Amino acid sequence: MIYFHNSFCISPQPVDLNELQLSTHNWLTVMEPSYANIPRGVLRRMGKAVRIGVGAALPLLENEQKLAGIIVGTSNGGMEDCIRFLNQVIEYKEGNLTPTNFVQSTTNAIAGQIGMMTTNTDYNATHVHRGLAFENALLDASFISAENREKSIIVGGVDEISTYNYNIDFLAGQYKKEALTNQELYSSFTEGSLAGEGAAMFLVNQKEEGATMKLEALRTIHSTDPEDVKAVLSEIADDFKIDAVMSGENGDIRLQHFYNNVETSFPQASVWRFKHLSGEYPTATSFALWVAMSILSTGKIPALVDVKRSKSALSDQHQTILFYNTYMGLQHSFMVVRGVKK
Amino acid sequence: MGDLVVTGIGIITALGDDLKSNHQALQEGKDGLSHLQNFDTAYASTRYFGEIKHSDNALRKVLGVKRAGVTRTSLLSQWAFEQAIKDSQLSRTEVQAPNTAFISANTVGGMCYTDALYSDANTKAGQPSPYITAYDNGASTLYIQQAFEMRGMANTINTACSSSANAVMYGARLLEKGFADRAIVGGVDSLAKFTINGFNSLYILSDEKCQPFDEKRKGLNLGEGAAYIVLEKAQNAKGKKVYAKLSGFGNANDAFHPSSISDEGTGPYNAMKKALDRGSLKPSSVDYINAHGTGTENNDITEARAMKRLFEKVPPFSSTKTFTGHTLGAAGAIEAVFSILSIHHQEIYANLRFTTKMEGQRLQPESVYRQSTINHVMSNSFGFGGNCSTLIFSAP
Repeated sequence: MIYFHNSFCISPQPVDLNELQLSTHNWLTVMEPSYANIPRGVLRRMGKAVRIGVGAALPLLENEQKLAGIIVGTSNGGMEDCIRFLNQVIEYKEGNLTPTNFVQSTTNAIAGQIGMMTTNTDYNATHVHRGLAFENALLDASFISAENREKSIIVGGVDEISTYNYNIDFLAGQYKKEALTNQELYSSFTEGSLAGEGAAMFLVNQKEEGATMKLEALRTIHSTDPEDVKAVLSEIADDFKIDAVMSGENGDIRLQHFYNNVETSFPQASVWRFKHLSGEYPTATSFALWVAMSILSTGKIPALVDVKRSKSALSDQHQTILFYNTYMGLQHSFMVVRGVKK
Repeated sequence: MGDLVVTGIGIITALGDDLKSNHQALQEGKDGLSHLQNFDTAYASTRYFGEIKHSDNALRKVLGVKRAGVTRTSLLSQWAFEQAIKDSQLSRTEVQAPNTAFISANTVGGMCYTDALYSDANTKAGQPSPYITAYDNGASTLYIQQAFEMRGMANTINTACSSSANAVMYGARLLEKGFADRAIVGGVDSLAKFTINGFNSLYILSDEKCQPFDEKRKGLNLGEGAAYIVLEKAQNAKGKKVYAKLSGFGNANDAFHPSSISDEGTGPYNAMKKALDRGSLKPSSVDYINAHGTGTENNDITEARAMKRLFEKVPPFSSTKTFTGHTLGAAGAIEAVFSILSIHHQEIYANLRFTTKMEGQRLQPESVYRQSTINHVMSNSFGFGGNCSTLIFSAP
């Protein structure tokens, strides 16, 4: 498995997670930085997914030369560019179209652009397995890292919310029909969640020294049967003493039984939540991992995260965190992360 | 770590519905390129395509798919998947076992239904189309996972035109690292207005049948298809039919341009080099290269330069895209199958329609089918975003 050394996140929330940024019209959209390190001409052509993905990766590369790979998980990539191009195809009746949106819309444009801007010619991959795209990217990173023990890898999760994928997923029943803010996400008891987006990137390698945390376990399953989820949780309970559960609870009444179960399965553990901060998107677990990394590096637990016990600090002895998330009740991810003792 | 071997193959392309018909077309040198029948686009009769002539309904009927909302991409995937597991004689229990992984690649997903997507994406009012949850790349993989009630690892990869080569690699690593004991790996893509117009906007769609590595090349022909191979650890495949072993693979990025390869072919060179290194193979041991060979100005010259740099003497090579068209996310898997066939039958397939060497290049692809001693075959797949991948298959 891998050690995490550095991270950067572009999310709907400020980096200190002190004050909750409210959702607007059921959306949580990212607060974008100024991207001082991206040339303006290049920046202009980038769609949002590419922009936030590259924008989150570049700060990690300032002092890092020896990369063994760039690995991105994204369910949709540049969705806005994709449908913009599609709309041109229809509206201009397949006339002469400009290729920019087409090229930017391919899901691998994010990892490709990071490789290009950092002239990194090594391993480069993009995983797009919907709600497990980031988890597969992380597993791939652990494989590539084990084969390249002296080098680091950039791995991350990126997805954007645009009108287009909002419409599609709204029609598919994934979002709340009533107006709601993220403050009320966990008390709505209705179907659907709030739309979100973000880019979280991590610098990982095999070295414990200087690391903030270690990925101890990663499991993914596909099932609609709660018993299958319970079976994995009980295996994890046998192998680890869990100090905190990072729950992907997203306010969707249809999925609540999965999250209730995990939140009550470890009675000694704190319960942390993050979807009121990030909104729901297929690679939101990458944001959760970034939140945990912030907590483990500062020892402070933002009040916004510890929704149940309001603990404000993390003890040095109890730093094993279980992440559980389900995307649409079919794809389930389980990650165990442990803080590395300084 | 023991060898990884191929114990089953499933394939559908414009050449035919199964392994046998694809093989026969390759031997006979008959391409599957034509004008379009199955859907309407402004380019239906002005461009050539590797189109599978079965309509969606015909595919549904043969596969016995009754439920609505299953896309052509999912149907083609199921077609090849069923063949692969049958060919490998996997029981339903084995397919569903937690140690059986399924890794599939595609680039266009359910976007083959351009008009349905247009209406679903542009308004949140009204009734959704039946394809509302089937547009993304993950959808066809999840369709197979659910239809066959698979309980092992599943993943979808999209690295543009090199996607399914990376699916093969990821599956191989799952086996090597103990996350699975067998992996069904490959890819699928359907023809779509989206990709036809995308490649056309880049001026790389030829109005003639493609001529890779030819001075007169005018661009690529798009195609569609699906292919999967069953990868198993050799020690678990005793007594089974074994087509070939996967002996090397490499992935590298060209880090040059979003939609074209650097002049010197850095990415292609590194991908081929890494694959050889991983297989502990010398360049001189490669007997045949199934080239990426799209027929575009940029790809063929840069691939040729990279081959010349890596090989003291460039082995026989050809692009079977001259038969199938460029099947994008399925290309790496389809060409992996052709590479495996080349070993299995000891033969080299033609680079059809070759007439004139590229200016300044002495390299010349194989222009006719012939039999030859083949122990190691290299299969190249390069794509947008600088994503370059190479697989090497060897005689078992």
